[in-house]
Amino acid sequence: MSEPAVRARGLAKGYGEGATRVEVLHGFDLQVECGEMLAVVGPSGVGKSTLLHLLGLLDRPDEGSLELFGTDTGGLAVQERARWRNRYIGFVFQFHALLPEFTLAENAAMPLLIAGVRRREALDRAADLLEQVGLASRAKHFPDQLSGGEQQRGALARALVAGPRLLLADEPTGNLDAANAQTVFALLRQLHLSRRLTSVIVTHNEALAGQCDRILSMTRADVGGRGAGS
Amino acid sequence: MSAVTLLTGRWLLALRRRTHVGAVSAISLVAMALGAMALVVTLALLEGFQHTIRTQLERGGVHARLVPARGSELPGGDWLDELRRRHPDLEVEEVRSTAVWCMAGGLAVPAELEMVSGLPRVEVNRVLAARLGVVPGSELVVATPQLVLTPLGPMPLRRRLEVAVVREGRPGEERGVVRVGEELARVFQEAGRRPQAVTLQAKHGRDAWRVASIVQKDVPEGVEVLSFRELNRPLLAALELERVMIAFAVALVMVVAALNLLCNLALVAAEKRADVALLAAMGLPPRAIHRLFLGLGAGVGVLGGVLGTAAGAVLAGVLDRTRALPLPRGVFVVSHVPFRVEPEAVMLVLAVSFAAALLASLAPARAAAQRDVLQGLRYE
Repeated sequence: MSEPAVRARGLAKGYGEGATRVEVLHGFDLQVECGEMLAVVGPSGVGKSTLLHLLGLLDRPDEGSLELFGTDTGGLAVQERARWRNRYIGFVFQFHALLPEFTLAENAAMPLLIAGVRRREALDRAADLLEQVGLASRAKHFPDQLSGGEQQRGALARALVAGPRLLLADEPTGNLDAANAQTVFALLRQLHLSRRLTSVIVTHNEALAGQCDRILSMTRADVGGRGAGS
Repeated sequence: MSAVTLLTGRWLLALRRRTHVGAVSAISLVAMALGAMALVVTLALLEGFQHTIRTQLERGGVHARLVPARGSELPGGDWLDELRRRHPDLEVEEVRSTAVWCMAGGLAVPAELEMVSGLPRVEVNRVLAARLGVVPGSELVVATPQLVLTPLGPMPLRRRLEVAVVREGRPGEERGVVRVGEELARVFQEAGRRPQAVTLQAKHGRDAWRVASIVQKDVPEGVEVLSFRELNRPLLAALELERVMIAFAVALVMVVAALNLLCNLALVAAEKRADVALLAAMGLPPRAIHRLFLGLGAGVGVLGGVLGTAAGAVLAGVLDRTRALPLPRGVFVVSHVPFRVEPEAVMLVLAVSFAAALLASLAPARAAAQRDVLQGLRYE
């Protein structure tokens, strides 16, 4: 049996000091298999985004261990964590989808440029991805010339352009109307399958969560327990 | 092209997207360019006036002076003839001087009488002319302190002379000087006196600085060679001090521009915190974020410095060529405000603008690189 994509044991994370300290996660366990699409649902403030940030190596747990594809990430230095994010992890956020000074193609190519890929090659690969998300004709447009749905599809293209193994999405459809949300989610699902990704998607939309392989429902009571799926 | 270069360039030149960062970059750029321009124009103005003074000095002044190392007279022998023979391109004048009193218009002032070989007329310097109120054509009475016996008893030796020329005189000269030819000088001076000094002047003013070194090997022991620099040390030192102090004072404009840049970069860092966080999430490491903001500052410094320096150089050149700023005749030796752009000044301004911009970028760059990515992602 292959290594799980994500194996978290006893994760703890809190914010603040002394009396104002809030424990967001405590003794949290989670395992996500390779190729699995996991939806994380739960009320606001329960720690969904914190979990995603920990999985995306944007933050370090106060306690516990996190393995991604068999590698213990606890010992990774700042530069190595940045390299990991660039090479193995793709992010889609609810806000700040695209950089306003760059065209859609340049935005989509950005992870490759960060990785040191030549501009021409990066733009070619970004163009391929934009075609897959149906935005080939909008490649030279700037973000303020795109609709919300188009921006989020562009963000999805950017998240996948460097060929990551793990896709983390934080409320990717939170800013979209129902039709656009369904379009973006369907696209996400399709790319997940075609690219054999492991995906963790935080969402408040239970209908969309239902289309995932597994749902992790987080409540205030169980953030200290096992991250069991339903 | 790396991501950092692309980001730097785009954020620097994002005006066409009319983003806040573009406006802030443009303000910093204009401030830096104006600072560089002000510095170039000021240095060109300063150099214009100083060059005029130096040129006047080179053209009209003594380029080297041979003085006795000991005593009041130069050693005898034919070394002076030999010096003339070896350096035919140098004008060699023997100086024999005597302290005298000069009188005109009821005024009497002490002065120095200099004998200049071959001088056919009587010349006075501006100092003496101003003290006595004489002009070319005026009469001047010269009297020596030595007494001569007359039927009326011992009297100072006096001669009535007509002033032919009022000379500019040596820069910084404070004594009144009367210059006369050999024949007239013999009346006042003891016969057979050796010269007290020899002045040397090259045909071209630009050679003034090396006359001393050229003749050094041809003078005998007991003769000291005072170079052009030594002869004009106080004035040249004052000019240099003036240049340094004014350059320093005007360079403060660049400091103000750099502080403006610092504030603007801090604004950009705050404005772009969400974008920077997004880039960090995509894998841009803190070192690259640091480089990105340093690049922004350096870009503003280089671009602003180059544009401002070029504009300043062009403006100074146009003002000089068109003689756009006239000066009252008779008060200044030049008819217009002179500007002179030196390559060294241009390099200095470019270096100052680049260094100031880079220094101003350090703090915002460090702050941006150390900023919490998660706070940036939550920032909306």
